[in-house]
Amino acid sequence: MSYIEVNSLKKDFVVKKKREKGKLLREKETVNALKGVSFSVEKGELVGYIGPNGAGKSTTVKILSGILTPDGGEVKVGGIVPWKERKKHVKNIGVVFGQRSQLWWDVPIIDSYNLLKDIYRIPQKDYEERLKELTEALQLEPIMRTPLRLTSLGQRMRAELCGSLLHRPELLFLDEPTIGLDAVSKLSLREFLKWENREHGTTIMLTTHDMEDIEALCSRVMVLGHGKKLFDGKLSDLLERYDTVRNVHVKFSSEYPNLKLPEGVEWQKGEDGIVLSYKPSKLPTAKLLSILQDAGNISELMLQPENTDHMIAAMYKELDL
Amino acid sequence: MSYLTVFKMRLRMELQYRGAMIGGIFCQMFFGIVLVALYRALYAGKTQSVPIENIATYVWLQQAFFRMMFATDTELTDKIKSGDISYDLCRPVNMYAFYYARIAAQKLMGSVMRAVPMLTMAFLLPKGWGISLPVSPLGFALCVPAFVLGFLCVCALENISVAFTMKSLDPRGIAALLNLLMMIMSGNLLPLTLFPESWQKVITLFPYAQLLDAPIRLYTGEYVPADALRIYAVQAFWVVTLIWLGVVMWNANRKRMIVQGG
Repeated sequence: MSYIEVNSLKKDFVVKKKREKGKLLREKETVNALKGVSFSVEKGELVGYIGPNGAGKSTTVKILSGILTPDGGEVKVGGIVPWKERKKHVKNIGVVFGQRSQLWWDVPIIDSYNLLKDIYRIPQKDYEERLKELTEALQLEPIMRTPLRLTSLGQRMRAELCGSLLHRPELLFLDEPTIGLDAVSKLSLREFLKWENREHGTTIMLTTHDMEDIEALCSRVMVLGHGKKLFDGKLSDLLERYDTVRNVHVKFSSEYPNLKLPEGVEWQKGEDGIVLSYKPSKLPTAKLLSILQDAGNISELMLQPENTDHMIAAMYKELDL
Repeated sequence: MSYLTVFKMRLRMELQYRGAMIGGIFCQMFFGIVLVALYRALYAGKTQSVPIENIATYVWLQQAFFRMMFATDTELTDKIKSGDISYDLCRPVNMYAFYYARIAAQKLMGSVMRAVPMLTMAFLLPKGWGISLPVSPLGFALCVPAFVLGFLCVCALENISVAFTMKSLDPRGIAALLNLLMMIMSGNLLPLTLFPESWQKVITLFPYAQLLDAPIRLYTGEYVPADALRIYAVQAFWVVTLIWLGVVMWNANRKRMIVQGG
């Protein structure tokens, strides 16, 4: 049996709508946030969980962390049903919600940690050791005695992460942890997550919209849409399956030549030169390049690297999400 | 113990708002003096069933512990509104007890920090204007447990309104209602001792009368020491009932709860 077992998980929400004119009661609509999702995760895995807004990602995380009770299906995390034995379950997990804060706003960060130490009943020695380790890894030393309200977003995110890991959880849920962070903070956060996963074998489940997070961290990715699981496997396999458009920027040294472009290639005027978009599956890149070369007088040519965001967008479109 | 730690944390946080405390003291001092002046004017030399010294004492004690009575932990209700409560739900603690400890700390620190300077000043005012000494050392000794029971009662009441907020998502409606009831039925607006005799029989049985009215009456001697056990019994009944009700509400909330968005 795997560490996390999810079987045909269902969750409905009732959304009340504004009363329509001439009707006595408000209309209610049931939204099926999860329509039977199943998957399993092994210990020590680093899994990405993606999907458009409203796909049911956060709902899954909330059920797995024992906050919500599902309307159907089975869930077991380390043999425990999260919402049935909430207190026992949450001792082993850590959660970071990128858009929320668990630390106390008005008091120094270290005081919030001391509270967490008592909440999770971490032995003093173990706590000191772990705190030292995390402080170094997350570079928290300079802000330890600062009230949370005086820290920057990047510092706060690192502090939140430390708070969620103090009790050495076996399983860490990250719900959009890099939201709103600058490039340096993002990179260091990713480095840290990799380190935590490697050093302590912490199982990590990451939901995000940032494809770079997934690329950098997750060997396995699950795609959720309309409350269903649409894909489960390697990121590279996912990207291969979905044909995406690539762009070439071309700059000409003199006159703009009369190009005879094959079907499927679109062009538009860029700042200095033109941008061609094509699908590599229909027209191999090499062939396009030879066409351009034949046209002559090219001064500069730039192939845009593959953009995961575009691919994911194309995939969502294809799956009608 | 995590409940004790959250209690201590909230105490410390309360200390961060010293400006609010000083403002609150001035405001409550002003209210106290105006109210006492008002009752003195109404009495105007005529003898009444309740002596003016007792009324002044009643008013001052009510004003000094004003912070204890009314719901003021907006951070808690904000958490529910914004969904930050998710984090608290991911902790291996009992939610009711966790929030009860928080509420208790905020009420205790908030009111004691104001009560000490206020009561000191009220003692310095001339007799009939300020607060009088307790009726007897025994009266004072009996008032202390009543105060503790009243305190437990008011925390349980606030936790119910927090649990209710989980349902309504907006604390203002229920808070407005409860605060109005609190103002009238606790004796904050008009000392309960001035209500008609027949009303008092009923009103003193309500939970609101247990908070400050009961201990104040033991302090001023309106309740004689022989009444004490009966008073404690009524208070204890409400403490148990309100905590039970709160726990039931919290448990029901957990089953039907939704945390929306993100």
